[in-house]
Amino acid sequence: MLSPAFPAHIRDQWPFAPRFARVNGWRMHYVDEGSGDPIVLLHGNPAWGFLYRDFIPPLVRAGYRVVVPDMIGFGLSEKPAREQAHTLDGHSANLIALLRQLNLNGVTLVCHDWGGPTGLSYALTHQDRVRALVIMSTWAWPSPPSEFHTRIFPWRMMHAPLVGPYLLGKHNALAGRGMYLSVVDRDRFRQRAQAAYEAVLPDPATRLLTWTWPRWIPLDAHARAWQRFEWLEQELSRCTLPALIVWGREDDVFDPTVFAARFKRLLPHAQGPHLVTGRHFLQEDSGPEIAARIIEFLRAPHPGRAPTP
Amino acid sequence: MSAPVCVVEPPELVGKRIAAVLMEDRIGHYPEFRAFFERTFELAHIKLSRPGYVAAPSGAIYQFVFIGRSGLPFPDGVEINAVVDALEPLDDARVDTDLWAILHWMISGVGGSWSAQDLDATGRLYRLAAAKEN
Repeated sequence: MLSPAFPAHIRDQWPFAPRFARVNGWRMHYVDEGSGDPIVLLHGNPAWGFLYRDFIPPLVRAGYRVVVPDMIGFGLSEKPAREQAHTLDGHSANLIALLRQLNLNGVTLVCHDWGGPTGLSYALTHQDRVRALVIMSTWAWPSPPSEFHTRIFPWRMMHAPLVGPYLLGKHNALAGRGMYLSVVDRDRFRQRAQAAYEAVLPDPATRLLTWTWPRWIPLDAHARAWQRFEWLEQELSRCTLPALIVWGREDDVFDPTVFAARFKRLLPHAQGPHLVTGRHFLQEDSGPEIAARIIEFLRAPHPGRAPTP
Repeated sequence: MSAPVCVVEPPELVGKRIAAVLMEDRIGHYPEFRAFFERTFELAHIKLSRPGYVAAPSGAIYQFVFIGRSGLPFPDGVEINAVVDALEPLDDARVDTDLWAILHWMISGVGGSWSAQDLDATGRLYRLAAAKEN
C-alpha cells in the first residue's frame, strides 16, 4: 500500500498496510502480515522491506506472522540528517525496540547484509525469544573483511570523504545502479524493482545511510565496530539456535566459499549452505525459492523443538 | 586528467550568496583525507578563523567551511559552498561538473593508494555524466 508517488507497477507489488512504531525517538515503518509464529525479515544497505515482497505472501499462506521493518534511514522509515545519528549499536537497538514493542516470541530472524549484525545482535541477547536464524549474504566477525570491501575501486572510493555524498548522495548510485549490478537478472530488476529502491530515497539528504553504512565495515582493528563484531563472533560460536544458511551462488560481495562456509564453521549444526541463483541481493533473483526453503526448514523437526505450525 | 582546481584568496562577497552544494560529516573516515585538507588550507595554523576557497574549472569559486567536533581531530567535517551572485539560481550542471573536478583535485592530492584513475573508473561504473566527459 504505497502512495501515488510510486509507479503503479511498484504499488501493485506492495499491497501491505503500513505500520509505524517509535523506536529510540525515530519513526520506524514496518509491515505486519498474517498470524502464527513470527518471522522477521531484515534488509540491509540500501534496501527496504520491498526486497522481501516475494517472501511475504507464501510465508503468510504457510501460517506465519511476517514482520518486515525498514531500518531507520531507509525505506519508509524516518531518515536522520546527520551521519553521527547512525551507529551499528543504535540500529541494533532500534530493532530491539521494535521487537520488544511487538512482544514477539518464537521469532525466526531472516538476516541479510546489515540485517545480519543488527538481527544477530537481537538474537544473541534474546535467545529465549528466538526460534531460529536464517542467514544470507552477511557477516558476523571483525576480520578478514571481504576482498570486495578492501578494494578502493569501486568500494572504498564510492564512500570516501566527499565522494560518498556526491556519488551516493547527489547521484543515488547505490540504490540505482549499485543494486542493479548486484543481481543476476538485471533486466528483470530494472523493469520490476529498481524504481522502488530509488523512489524511497528521492533527495541527496535522504541517502545519507547509503554511504554511512559502508564506513561501519571493519577494515582493521581501529574500526568503530571492531569490538561489536568480536562479540558477535564469540556469541555466535556458542549459539545452538536452529539455523539455515542460504547464499547467492554468484555473490561477489560476500563470496559463498568464504562467508557461507565460515558461518557453517561457526554454526556447524546449521542447515546449508544452500546455494541459489543470486548475487548479493539474492532475494531479487530467488525470492519464492528462498521462502519455500524457509518454510521447509521451519516445518522440519529440530533437536529439542517441535515442528510448527 | 589533471586537476584544474586551485586554492585562491578569499573573494569579494558583497552582492554574493553562499550556496551549500556538498556536505561531509566525517572527513577523517580515511585520515589521509583530513591530512590533505590540513596541509592544503594550513588548518593547523588558521583553524576556524576563516574558510578556504578554490577556483573550479568553470571559473566559479567554492568555499570550504571546516567543521570541528568535540573530542575528535580537526577538521571533522566540511561543507562546500558555491559563491554565487546573490539572487541568481545555481547552474546545477555546472556545479556538478565543478564538484567532480574538485573530487579529482582532492583524490590526486590525497595520493598514496588513492588515484584519480580509480575515481574515474568508479564514476564510469556508475555512469556519471561528469566522469564520461573525462
